[in-house]
Amino acid sequence: MNSKGASNLKPRSLWADFKKQAYLQSFVLIGMLFLFIFSYIPMVGIIIAFKDYRISDGVLGFFTSPWAGLKHFVEFFTEIESGMIIRNTFVISILKIIFTFPIPILFAIMINEVRNVRFKKFVQTASYLPHFISWVVVYGIMFAFLSGDGVINSVFKTFNLIDSPIPFLTDPKKFWALAIISDAWKEFGWWSIIFIAAIVGIDQSIFEAAEIDGASRFQKIRYITLPGIKSTINVVLILSLGNLLGGGMSGSNFEQSLLLGNNLNRSASEILQTHVLKAGLVQLRYSYAAAVGLLQSIVSVTMIFGSNAIVKKISGTGIY
Amino acid sequence: MAKRQKKDIAFDIVNYVLLILIAFITIYPFYYILVISFNSGLDAARGGIYFWPRVFTLDNYRKIISDDKWVNAFGISVFRTVIGTALSVFFTSLVAYGLSYKKLLFRNGYYRILIFSMYFSGGLIPYYVLLRSLGLLNTVWVYIIPSLLSQFMVLIMISFFDEIPPSLSESAHIDGANDLQIFLKIILPISKPVLATATLFAAVGHWNAWMDSAYYVSDPKLRTMSYLMMEIINKSQAANVGDMQQNFRSATNITTKSLQAAVIIISTVPILVTYPFLQKYFVKGIMLGSVKE
Repeated sequence: MNSKGASNLKPRSLWADFKKQAYLQSFVLIGMLFLFIFSYIPMVGIIIAFKDYRISDGVLGFFTSPWAGLKHFVEFFTEIESGMIIRNTFVISILKIIFTFPIPILFAIMINEVRNVRFKKFVQTASYLPHFISWVVVYGIMFAFLSGDGVINSVFKTFNLIDSPIPFLTDPKKFWALAIISDAWKEFGWWSIIFIAAIVGIDQSIFEAAEIDGASRFQKIRYITLPGIKSTINVVLILSLGNLLGGGMSGSNFEQSLLLGNNLNRSASEILQTHVLKAGLVQLRYSYAAAVGLLQSIVSVTMIFGSNAIVKKISGTGIY
Repeated sequence: MAKRQKKDIAFDIVNYVLLILIAFITIYPFYYILVISFNSGLDAARGGIYFWPRVFTLDNYRKIISDDKWVNAFGISVFRTVIGTALSVFFTSLVAYGLSYKKLLFRNGYYRILIFSMYFSGGLIPYYVLLRSLGLLNTVWVYIIPSLLSQFMVLIMISFFDEIPPSLSESAHIDGANDLQIFLKIILPISKPVLATATLFAAVGHWNAWMDSAYYVSDPKLRTMSYLMMEIINKSQAANVGDMQQNFRSATNITTKSLQAAVIIISTVPILVTYPFLQKYFVKGIMLGSVKE
């Protein structure tokens, strides 16, 4: 392979090379077979969005079922709720990027200013905990704190701040804030890891020089720390924008809307992903659900490439 | 100079106070649930418990341990976490080891297939059709087989294997060992840090999963603990909406809320006692991951 053309002239040597690494090739080929089945076959299945697919036909039905053109897409856009669902999907996603993105950066800077190693370690370790627990547990905790007779309403009542409990979990007007705050709470510590490592990587002599020149703590943060982690911020921003509709860095939109969404707040909580799930696996409208799913995928793919281009244009660094 | 000193101290005080507040906001919710789980449910419903149990009891935990439904779900969760994690870490590292060999034929092609599948997917519905056609729906294997390979972990592992000097496997080759033996006897034992990271991520994923249990399985005997937990919270949420007071009381002093608290603690403790000790590994893991992407 290394010497030009040698393998073309002698195909037998390619086979000989292959045989020599037969074990390693078989390790990788099993992996490729796995990806073929669990990733690539479903990709082919996207065509059912343009067909009238019946579940009884199985995977072969991807090919044999009759074409339906854009029927399912038209159906989605003429549905009364489609505007609401699209709005919720975008508003939640965009608000999440705006409000949750800066928190791990701020936290990383604050942590870096702490000199007491044990205190630092303690706060950091505590901050990772929510990342490792499930959204179901977070839902349970939120229920304990925010329900009608939960902690927050009880405290408010004790101080006579309210007459009747605030319906945090069922009021559509509160859902977006609920989604953003709980997401920030769960993931800020985890994402700070990257930024803390980036700050540690900054050349310490720059800070020392600034110290001698009489720079204040804020000046050092503003003129050394932040510029020093700019490229890391860009990378994480690109990744977050690439997964905008999934919920940014943490990708939590789907689980959140499934768990925190209910019949009372659904005008604010229903998003494309939950709509696909309900239409497909609950109402059994497979082709229709696949069509709605495809719409979201198209936006996502656009975001993956678009975000890189935009950030590159603004700041000069991309990742592709 | 003195002025700057003062400003510095003020900065430190504000910083420390804010960080203590952040730590409190992170930890207190868990602590509160812990307290409620050890308190009589009926008594807790009166309110006013914040930092210490008022009427201490183990009834909430007893109730769960004596309920077959919960015991079974706990067993399913343990099974998928142990077996699913072991198989997935082994399979993922096997694939990653093959791919890490620099002279592997078609290596670039394999890489592209891998990366492409990270960014593009068929979406939920075609995936569901596939699981159905494979006969995985409503079996315990639907928890284990589809998550055998993690593309993200493959990339992290490759960057770890890259650091291993090639002379190690070369000398073993000369001694007549094949690549499977080398992988099992030489590579795996020296790869503990990356295996620890992979194990933690996979285990947490399995332990916390509930959506596959909700939508790919209908047999109540196959439900995971996370799924059951979701179910009882939803039930009390619905009751709450209906403006019924939380009066799901049986003849005992247990309420759905106190029961939920105990379940939350049971499902959180295994994570709580593991992750702090694996910190140095996963911190490295997430760094490599973000650089690779």
